[in-house]
Formats: sequence, structure tokens, C-alpha cells
Amino acid sequence: MSSPSGFREIASRELGNEYSRIFLKLLSEGFAILRSAGMSTFEDPQEALDRSRAIRRDAVERMPELLEEFARAAGENGAVVLWARDARHACDQIVGLARERGVRFVAKGKSMITEEIGLNRALEESGVEVFETDLGEFVTQTMGLPPFHLVGPAINIPPDKIGEAFFAKGVIREPDSDPVRLGKAVRAHLREKFRALDMGVVGVNMAIASTGTLVNVENEGNIRMIKSSPRTLVAVMSIEKVVPTLEDALHLLRVLCRNCTGQKMSGYVTFDSGPAGRGEKDGPEELFVVIVDNKRSAIYQDPLARQVLRCIRCGACLNTCPVYARIGGYPYGGVYSGPMGAVLSPLLHGIERTSDLFRACTLCGACRQVCPAGIDHPELIRVFRQREVEAGAQAAPGAQGAAERAALGVLGLCASHPAAWMAAVRSARLACAVLGEGGYVRKSPFGLSGWFSSRDLPAVAARTFREWWKGRDAAKGGRGPGGGPT
Amino acid sequence: MRTMEVSLFIPCTVDVLLPEIGVATCRVLERLGVKTVYHESQTCCGQVFLNAGHAQKARRAACRFIEIFSKDDFVVSPSGSCVHMVRSCYPDLFPAGSLWRARALDLAPRVFELSQFLVDVMGVTDPGGSFDATVTYHDSCHVLRGLGVSRQARMLVDAAAGPRRVEMPGADSCCGFGGEFSVRFPEISVAILKDKVQSFLDSRADVLVLNEPGCLLNIGGYLHRHHPEKRVMHLAVFLDEAMERGSGR
Repeated sequence: MSSPSGFREIASRELGNEYSRIFLKLLSEGFAILRSAGMSTFEDPQEALDRSRAIRRDAVERMPELLEEFARAAGENGAVVLWARDARHACDQIVGLARERGVRFVAKGKSMITEEIGLNRALEESGVEVFETDLGEFVTQTMGLPPFHLVGPAINIPPDKIGEAFFAKGVIREPDSDPVRLGKAVRAHLREKFRALDMGVVGVNMAIASTGTLVNVENEGNIRMIKSSPRTLVAVMSIEKVVPTLEDALHLLRVLCRNCTGQKMSGYVTFDSGPAGRGEKDGPEELFVVIVDNKRSAIYQDPLARQVLRCIRCGACLNTCPVYARIGGYPYGGVYSGPMGAVLSPLLHGIERTSDLFRACTLCGACRQVCPAGIDHPELIRVFRQREVEAGAQAAPGAQGAAERAALGVLGLCASHPAAWMAAVRSARLACAVLGEGGYVRKSPFGLSGWFSSRDLPAVAARTFREWWKGRDAAKGGRGPGGGPT
Repeated sequence: MRTMEVSLFIPCTVDVLLPEIGVATCRVLERLGVKTVYHESQTCCGQVFLNAGHAQKARRAACRFIEIFSKDDFVVSPSGSCVHMVRSCYPDLFPAGSLWRARALDLAPRVFELSQFLVDVMGVTDPGGSFDATVTYHDSCHVLRGLGVSRQARMLVDAAAGPRRVEMPGADSCCGFGGEFSVRFPEISVAILKDKVQSFLDSRADVLVLNEPGCLLNIGGYLHRHHPEKRVMHLAVFLDEAMERGSGR
């Protein structure tokens, strides 16, 4: 899995990319309209959000017992539950299933957890071909790109680029850039795979503990096809996907669709409990549910971070994030991007490797406001920053980090001693007298080049508020600070 | 009725870089018959430390702040984010059950952002005066999503500007400041900022009013360099100017 170390470089590239900029503006504005229209169809949208948040909080708090309940119910339905400690363990088991059955290829539904564990690569390395069947995933797979957006992995790729890639890879026989024809070509291409499908792999949106049911939410019907056409079906889920009851799942479903794409209900929602029963014509002959931990137990044990597990992957936080809306998903360097990536990736890959993810945030709180799972992203981001500082990792990035540390150290000293504060103000005022003009500073030799690239800063006032107050105390009704009239 | 007494909480950025905002806050309150006091030992609320991840330094600043302000009935500040720091973040800096946490929780509900204090506590929605320019209001993240304040400031602006207040598209979206973020990730910060400024320009308003010094430094710093004809004003300065004019009529 790629590390997010190239954040700055990729962000810079994306900021310079005219197409990305226009597209991201449309995406964030468009999704905001869709979301608000969708959520307004609830009689009381706030109540609906409060309820989904309560469900997710409860589900995560009770996760260990709910998982046991789910595994028991799924087993009773005839599914085989396989537990996987980490990415490797999960991939090995799934590859093993494919090998034992002599499967030549698998068809896959869109799933973040299989991206996270690197399943495609593991299967391909052992000689099993993988076909992504979600249109967006098919495009990113064909083009060898990481996902741009949680929900729309290829949402940013223009049709002509998709056409070129399809033509180069033989998906279409003649060059084309018409989105409808391209979609139809993929449909025809994949239909053949479904017809002869021995093994399918899907993710899971929700796993209902009381009934052992797997719920999948999609708009293209490909997951429904995979869940019903192969002999062997493998459903892969991370441990936090479990919810207590069908009623809980139904409410989360209502909120998920509205919050994500603004739909009251997505095009296809499938509920499957176990393989085909005796005498039933449809459904897989065997169903394996792979329940992946991959660091979640550790996250669960971390009282400050546990809330991350509530995420239901609706993508609303990406759509509303001012940073994501400028740089898109690529800089986040992995499967998860935007605010949800900034709060999950540090826990999966380590604070020290993901600093830019949780530092590149204005703490504006827009993500928390739309989150249907009740995650407090700004709080988590502050926690990560704190842990980074405590680990002393901050000195590592070099001069900038060290300068910042020193500046905060001085500020901290001054903040505790008013006399030092006044002395610092006087020194800064002198510096401004040299550097500034017309009451503003336009550049600085003290490192703040980022600020001054496009912004000026008011010079330290000729009279601070404190000095004004003192003067006023001495002679009531005096002039204002700054030397000018008030 | 006893004269209301307000303790001025003047954030460090206001004290040093934008003192006119502190003065205006003081004057607006006094024009409304409030007595003001200012504790000269105050320095910084510690928000900058907390956001950077230096919790220990933030805790130290919080203890100082609590010591200094704990006896006041009303603490009022022209910075929404600093008020948010005291009201929402201070308690969490201290362990559950600790004395400092109790003291933080005791102080929190007595600390107000200016428009919140005027409208919600004093019940003033029209402080008097008028402002003769087209005005738009920017919802700062910590004011809107942190304190839940937006209606209050708009009411006060409306009282002075009347129909000359226009809404700009995306008034509630971030300006790209984010404290250390603006220096660490200037490219992204400025990309966000440019869109905010564009939406201000598109609104055709002459003046952008806000109640957060951080946003003011950010938006104002950009306007000063690129659009010097446009003006960004803190709500306190706006109200003070409006009241000054109003009383002169």
C-alpha cells in the first residue's frame, strides 16, 4: 500500500491542474446541493442524523459482542465465517479459496476494504485474474490509477481519457469518447465474465448481527450480479461494519444514500443471508464471509480514536471539505482520502508517516457537521497532532518543523509572563518598523514565506490595545491605538 | 438595575496587530451602557498551542486564563475561535473529575463572542446607528460551527445596513486560514482563500464583515495586496462606526 509521503508534491500538482480545479468545484457544489435536497426529504433531518449517530456509536461500543452474534447467525444461515488478523492473513485466505477451486478469474464489486488489504495484487500474483465490475473501479483498474474519491473513484477522469485507455486495452475496438457508448462497452465486456463466473468478491456495507445478513448498496447492479451468479461468493468486511438489527440497518441505509448522493435509496440494495438454500435456484452454492481486523482491534482499544470506527463511508466529509475540494483524493496517497482519510490513515499507517494528512486541515468542522456517524474529525486531528508532538516526530521534517517549534516555545514563554510579552511586542514593533510600509508588512526574513506569498500582515501596532487601555486609564477618553483616530 | 459589567477578553492577535478591534469592542459595549474592565495580565488563550498539538502549553495557558477571569460575571471577546477555545476546548484539556476541569466548566458559560453577548445576553438587536455601504457577512468556522452563532451577527449588521446587506454564495465556507495551516500549506490555503475573495467580489458588496480576527488577517491580508479598494471589517468596528454616525445625525 502506498504511503502518503508525496502529499505536498501531489497537492501542488493538482492545484496547478486546471481540469481538476474546475471539476472539484463542480463536485463539491453539486454534492452539497444533492445532499441538502436528499436530507430535506426527512421529516426532521436533524433527528435522522442524531439517530444514525446514536446507532453507529452503540454499534461500535458493542462491536465485540455484535461480531460474535453476527458470526453465529451467519453460520446458522450456512455461511462460512473466516477471521483475518491483518491484510496478509485476509489475502492468503481468499487466495487459498480461489486456488482450492481452481478459479481462473474473479469478478469484484467496489469495496474499500479489498483495496486496503491489496487483494487484487495478491490474487494476480497467484495467477488469478481480477475484474473490477463497478464502472469507476473498472476505469481506475484499466488506467492503473488510485481512487480519487471514496464513492466515485474515477469521477474526475474525462470521457476522452477513459476512451483512450479502453481503446489501448482492447475494451473497445474503435476510438470513442461518448460516455454512454463507453458504459455500454464495459457492460458488454463484463457480461461475459458474469456468465462464466466461478468466484465473486464483494465488500459489505452493513452486516446485521441479529440476522447474519449482508447488506450492499450500489447504483449499477454489478454487485447484485456478483452476489447471485457465481458458485462461490466471498464477502469481505472490516470488523466495524456490524450493526445490531435490521431496523438499525434500514435507518442507516436511508441516511447513507441521502447523505452520499442525495438519493432516497440507491439503485440497488441487496440483503443476503447465507448461500442458496436447498431447492433454491438463485444465489451462490457457498458463501464465505471474511471478517478483517487489520488494526481495528487496536483502534477499538484506543479510547480517543475509537470513534473512527463509526464511519459508514458515505463520502459526505470529502464533498464538504475545503482542502479536499482544492486538491482531490490523490495527495492522500492511499485508499481513503479527505477528512475520513485524515482520521483513519494515521491509525492504519502510523502518525509519523501521515503527518501531512492531519496537518493539512483548517479545523473548520464542516466534516463533523455532515457526518452521519457522529465522528468528531477536528478533535481526532488535534489528538494526532498532539501525539506527533509528544513523539517528538515534529523535528523530523526539518527546518520548518524546528522553526515552528522554536516559535511556539517563545510564544509559550511570553504567554505566561506579561512582562516578556510586552518585551516581545516591542522587539516585533522595531522589526516591523524596518520591514513594514504603510502599517503593513509584505515580506519577512523569519520564515513566514508561506503567508507572505499572497498576503500582507498588519504591522505591530504603534499602540497595542493594552497600551491604549493604560493610556485611557490615565486620561479617560483618549485617542485610540495605532496612532490614528478611532 | 445594576450596571452590567463586562470583562474584556482581548486575544493576542487583536492586542498586538489589530488593537482597533479591541477598542471598538470596548466602545460598543460602553455606548450600550455597559461598564468594561480589562485584566492587564491576560495574554493568550492557548488556541494556537492546542491546534498545533502542544497540549501542555495549551493547558498552561488555560490555567492562567481561568485564574485571571474566574471571578467575572461576563467575559466578552471579539474572537469567536478564542471563545470557542475557552467554552468548548478548555474542559477537555483536564482529566475528568479534576479541579481544573470543574473550574473550566464553571467559567465556560460566562464567556461570549461579541454578537452572541449583545443579542443573546443583552437582548440588543439594534444598537442604533447606520452604515452607508453594501455589506456582506462571512460566517467564520468557529463562530458558526463552533459556537452556533450566525443569526446574531446578521441581525446586528441588518440593523445598521438594512437592505444593503447582501448574502454572498458560500458565506459559511472556510476562508482557508486555519492558523498554522496557512503557513504550513500556503498553496492550499491561498487556493481556498481566493475562492472566498472571489465570492466576496461577486457579491458586489463594498465591505466584508466578520467576527473572527484570524479570518480577518487572512482575507484582509489578501485584499490589502490584491484588492486594496475592498474593505474587510470586524463586526465591532462596523458597529462602532455605525453608532458613531448614528449618534451624529
